[in-house]
Amino acid sequence: MRRIGLKKATTPTIPTASTADIAFLLIIFFMVSTHFRTEKGLRINLPKAEMTERILKRRNVAAVWIDPTGRMTVNDNWVTPTAITAIMTERVITNPELVVLLQADKDVKYGYVTDVLEALKDARALKVTFATSYGKGGGG
Amino acid sequence: MALSLKPRGRSSGEPNIPTASMGDIAFLIIIFFMTTSIFSREKGLKIVLPEKGAETKIKSENILTVAVSQSGQVLIGDRIVSVPEVSSIVTEQLGKNPDLAIALRVSRRAPYQTMIEVFDQLKVAKAERVSLMPVQEEGQ
Repeated sequence: MRRIGLKKATTPTIPTASTADIAFLLIIFFMVSTHFRTEKGLRINLPKAEMTERILKRRNVAAVWIDPTGRMTVNDNWVTPTAITAIMTERVITNPELVVLLQADKDVKYGYVTDVLEALKDARALKVTFATSYGKGGGG
Repeated sequence: MALSLKPRGRSSGEPNIPTASMGDIAFLIIIFFMTTSIFSREKGLKIVLPEKGAETKIKSENILTVAVSQSGQVLIGDRIVSVPEVSSIVTEQLGKNPDLAIALRVSRRAPYQTMIEVFDQLKVAKAERVSLMPVQEEGQ
């Protein structure tokens, strides 16, 4: 006997019971995979550069901050170039892929920057990035 | 009259908590966190420093010296140029001699902004071999 005619007339529904589970899963995933920056750094204005590129591996980044008067911090502690060598030597050994991000104010004298670069050479932290913000420079 | 313990008028269905809007709430939270979180601000100009004691000798005709003076003037060779000109001059020189290495010699008292602008221009000119010369001066 054919039963085709016996189909019930129900309205079609999309099951939405599990969307909440999916959404919470996403929230938890992002919460776990995000890592927050605890370093406060210094108040600086970054110089502008056209060829600014992003550092892809954020976990390999160690920042050195230089303020307009030439004071330096690493992990929110005041340091000297000699101390930078000591800190970075250790960090390069634990993570050979370390990239040092040099967050220097645009008005700082270059002498302080070159001192830090020499300190990083001594520490064998050879991958350096000058932190810049994207934009056309002011020109001569 | 038999007294019924059952409250009147209430349907005898199982009690349930409405979960239909849970998904909406969860997605709202996701969108809130997405819009408020700041994604990697770590960006800048990359450079790989040379190792100490591993200096390579380069023939003097293959070196182009770009200098930044104390007052922030830019010199290529002996000629004073403006910052936006640097990339075109360097591109031209690289076209003539692909082995050209660029020595960036910056005064300790030069503003960092100028150094970054020049370095940016070298990146625009796609100069691969750039070295930062440490400059020692009196009265730092």
